[in-house]
Amino acid sequence: MSNNDMSKQRTDVPYGTLDLLILKTLETMGEMNGYRIARRIEQVSGNALKLSQGAIYPALIRLEQEGWIRARWGISETNRKVKFYSLTKAGKKQLEAEVQKWEQANALVARFLEAVP
Amino acid sequence: MSWRGRIERFLALARKRRLDRELEAEVEAHLEMAERDAREAGLSAEEARWAARRSFGGIEQMKEDHRDRRSVRWIETAVRDFRIAVRTLGRAPGFVVVVVLTLALGIGATAAVFSLIQGVLLTPPPYKDPEQLVLISSARTDDQRQERPRPWPAAQWLEWQREAKSVQSIAAYRWMFNFLILPDRVESFEAMVVTPEYFSVVGLEPVLGRKFVASDTTPSAAPVLLIGYELWQRRFGGNPNILGQSVRVSSQEAPFEIIGVMPPGVRFLPAPNVAQEPNYDVNALVDMWIPFAPGSDPAELKRPRWNIVGRLAPGFTPEQAQAELSLLAQRQARADRDFAGFTPRVRSLTSEYNHDGERILLPLFGAAALVLLIACGNVAALLLVRGLGRQREYAVRAALGVGRAGLFRQASTESLLLALAGGAIGTGLALGVVRAFQLIGGHAIPRLDTVTTGWPVLLFGLVLALIAATLAGLFPAWRASRFDPNAVLKGAGPRSTVGRGERRLLRAVTMAQVALTLVLLAGAGLLIRTMINIANAPSGYDTSRILTMSVTSVQMSQADFHRRALERVQALPGVECAAYAWGVPLTGNSWPMRVIIEGQPVPASAKEATELPLRSITSGYFEMLGMPLIEGRDFRPNDDDHAPPVAIVNQAFAERYFPHTTTLGKKIWLLGPDKPPNTIVGVVANGRTDDLTRRATPEIYGSFWQYPAYSKHLLIRTKAEPLSMASAVESALRAVNPYVAVEHVKTFDQIRNDSLASRRFAMQLLVGFAAVGCLLTLVGIYGVLSLSVASRQHELAIRTAVGAEYRDIRNLIILDGFGLIGSGVAAGLGGALVLSRVLRSFLYQVEPNDPATLVAVAMIFIGVALLACWAPAQRATRVDPMKILRCE
Repeated sequence: MSNNDMSKQRTDVPYGTLDLLILKTLETMGEMNGYRIARRIEQVSGNALKLSQGAIYPALIRLEQEGWIRARWGISETNRKVKFYSLTKAGKKQLEAEVQKWEQANALVARFLEAVP
Repeated sequence: MSWRGRIERFLALARKRRLDRELEAEVEAHLEMAERDAREAGLSAEEARWAARRSFGGIEQMKEDHRDRRSVRWIETAVRDFRIAVRTLGRAPGFVVVVVLTLALGIGATAAVFSLIQGVLLTPPPYKDPEQLVLISSARTDDQRQERPRPWPAAQWLEWQREAKSVQSIAAYRWMFNFLILPDRVESFEAMVVTPEYFSVVGLEPVLGRKFVASDTTPSAAPVLLIGYELWQRRFGGNPNILGQSVRVSSQEAPFEIIGVMPPGVRFLPAPNVAQEPNYDVNALVDMWIPFAPGSDPAELKRPRWNIVGRLAPGFTPEQAQAELSLLAQRQARADRDFAGFTPRVRSLTSEYNHDGERILLPLFGAAALVLLIACGNVAALLLVRGLGRQREYAVRAALGVGRAGLFRQASTESLLLALAGGAIGTGLALGVVRAFQLIGGHAIPRLDTVTTGWPVLLFGLVLALIAATLAGLFPAWRASRFDPNAVLKGAGPRSTVGRGERRLLRAVTMAQVALTLVLLAGAGLLIRTMINIANAPSGYDTSRILTMSVTSVQMSQADFHRRALERVQALPGVECAAYAWGVPLTGNSWPMRVIIEGQPVPASAKEATELPLRSITSGYFEMLGMPLIEGRDFRPNDDDHAPPVAIVNQAFAERYFPHTTTLGKKIWLLGPDKPPNTIVGVVANGRTDDLTRRATPEIYGSFWQYPAYSKHLLIRTKAEPLSMASAVESALRAVNPYVAVEHVKTFDQIRNDSLASRRFAMQLLVGFAAVGCLLTLVGIYGVLSLSVASRQHELAIRTAVGAEYRDIRNLIILDGFGLIGSGVAAGLGGALVLSRVLRSFLYQVEPNDPATLVAVAMIFIGVALLACWAPAQRATRVDPMKILRCE
């Protein structure tokens, strides 16, 4: 019953980064279902990111619980009921905050790396 | 994490099934889309399905992750463990019923006694910071016991009020009994006469109106009083416009104006000087408060008539107050001889308040806790045996990857569930039992009427359930998590037997149970012996077929009423005889008098005179009670205020003061040497009038017509059941005077029973607890021996095979049981010797370590316990060696 094996899967994508990627995807692309979000992330990142597509669902439920995205039932291209996700106002704000934080952290790290001894 | 997220996570617990279904649907749609895309990219159907799966990753792991992230995981685990526990327990309903009922008995007993403790001891009196309040009573400086403790003169306590540093404020009070004159009837009430500062000292604020002020006590002030909340509700229907109304009190000409209502639940402070009054009840609710101040008259200031309550100054203890006040009292005694001979005794109000309750409730709580321990022992044994029977199940689970922690958690969840069920039923049981306590224990425990079963009791039941779950479940759960799955799975066939280690442990549990049961039995035995001893004690009088009531005529000449009423009652059909008495046996009533006896040295001062109880009676009283006159004559109706004073003394008096001469004709002075003496005209046989457990002490009887009493009992010997005559007697009395107050209508037998109430209550409870403990322990012994027989089948089979007779096998098992019981009994006797001491104050003519009682209960228990060994022993003889040994 231990969850230790699963945590390795999560570390494939830096923790928390996936949230940012999902929010950004929804901002750029508008309403999408889970599969399309996963594909989009794969495509944008090329082969650089080793992501199990399934890993998107635990992230989606948390984003929904936090009220950053909203889900609505729709019909997939294979004629199945599926959830379509879109960004909420709060989600937009959260995304901006996350992006800013990310950029600040990036800038800080970059400065360190560029620093000449 | 945001609040919204947190709340959602909790909500997800409730939506688990729906969320799982939705996720399932999403995953399926996801795979389908992925498969279609892969086919469009040119893969075959088969390859496309695999590709979709591969890029999705582990589905089950993802679902776990999903559940983990969206919800509060430990609650989900606990809920799941509970579900499993409910399901597993549901498969063993018999086991569940036995365990739950066992725990319910233990928890019920303990919670019931706790609710009494909560109501009587843990609920403080409604005063402000009651732990700061002290009662200041008196003690004689020569250490002699005071029949009637002397209260304090105002001159003394007024000085303490001014000078004492350890006591920040002092108020004085008196107890008062009187009659309220209502338009249609007369009703007695108990009141406190208090100095105006009383309410600020104890910290009481009226719920309506105002407190007393100093000007309420000036001679010219209009009479005012405050009434108690309960009287307000009972007599005035809680009327909010009560203020300003006036009431009439029988002894006073002018009506009193009601100026306020006090909060509910205010009871009397002890007034030891009037404790022998017939209507004194310290645990009663106060009906009224009447203001009074000592004034400035020097004679009045020196009259000892006040009881004192004080509030300690911050940081001072009762002991420091005692020391300071003693010094002040010594100085006062040196300054004025009249104050000599008495010293203050300072006790905290709360310890005084709880003294009687603690004496009876704490031992009973201990006994109830023993029952709970015994119950826990049984449940622990049952759980352990059940765990042993489930070794294979545990082993399979362990093999499937459930860790030790998981097994431990599951096993302890089961015992927690059982304990909670037991706690729920037990607490329900306790609520019923408390009702029963209130019915049978009315006179045994002070303030029993305040006991209400509420949240604290339910909470306590829950706490007990948790304790029981820990005591009974911890070890079996630990044991469950320590099995070696390999050994168990390799072993052949299901096992219902146990190894030596477990057997030894179970025996230890049972031995402890036997020991605890024996302690309970010893306590019950001692109290039963006490009750038998009291029943056999020579009381000296006969209480059967006697009706008693307290009768007071209000607004009519006393003597006239008394004579006419007595004649009328005696003439009633069904009445054999009737008499008045002040000081009916066992009511605690008497009239302590300082007596000077002919031939005894005359005391230097009145204070050093012998104090003896006076009882005032009419002729025929001794005959009615079956107390024979040994010498002389009974009183006559004309021994009244026109005749010379007479007295009758009891045998103890005659033997003490006139051992060598005749007692008849000797003189005693009751009212001081300057008043006419009483001539002793008769000697009556001894009776245990104070307390059935105490030998008679010297007593004096006066003629009622010479010592009329305001409050007294009317005693009537009836031909039939006494209470059936009550209404006829009452209407006869009302025919003489419609304003007569008739109260406390009881049979003499009831008075006798009330005087034994706390002993009987303790006995009933201990016998009940001991019976429950016995039953549980017998079940325990039976279980352990049955298990032992089952585990030793091999050995027994071999013994039979090599020629052991049935009798040998049976004796072997019984001897095994006897060893178990014997060592438990020995330990229990040791425990009883130590613990029975707490019962000392309840016992009569039997010592707490009474060998006869201890041996008797031990023998009885061993006898019954051996019966519990019989069935397993019989089963042992039926072991078929062929069948058992062939299995090998």
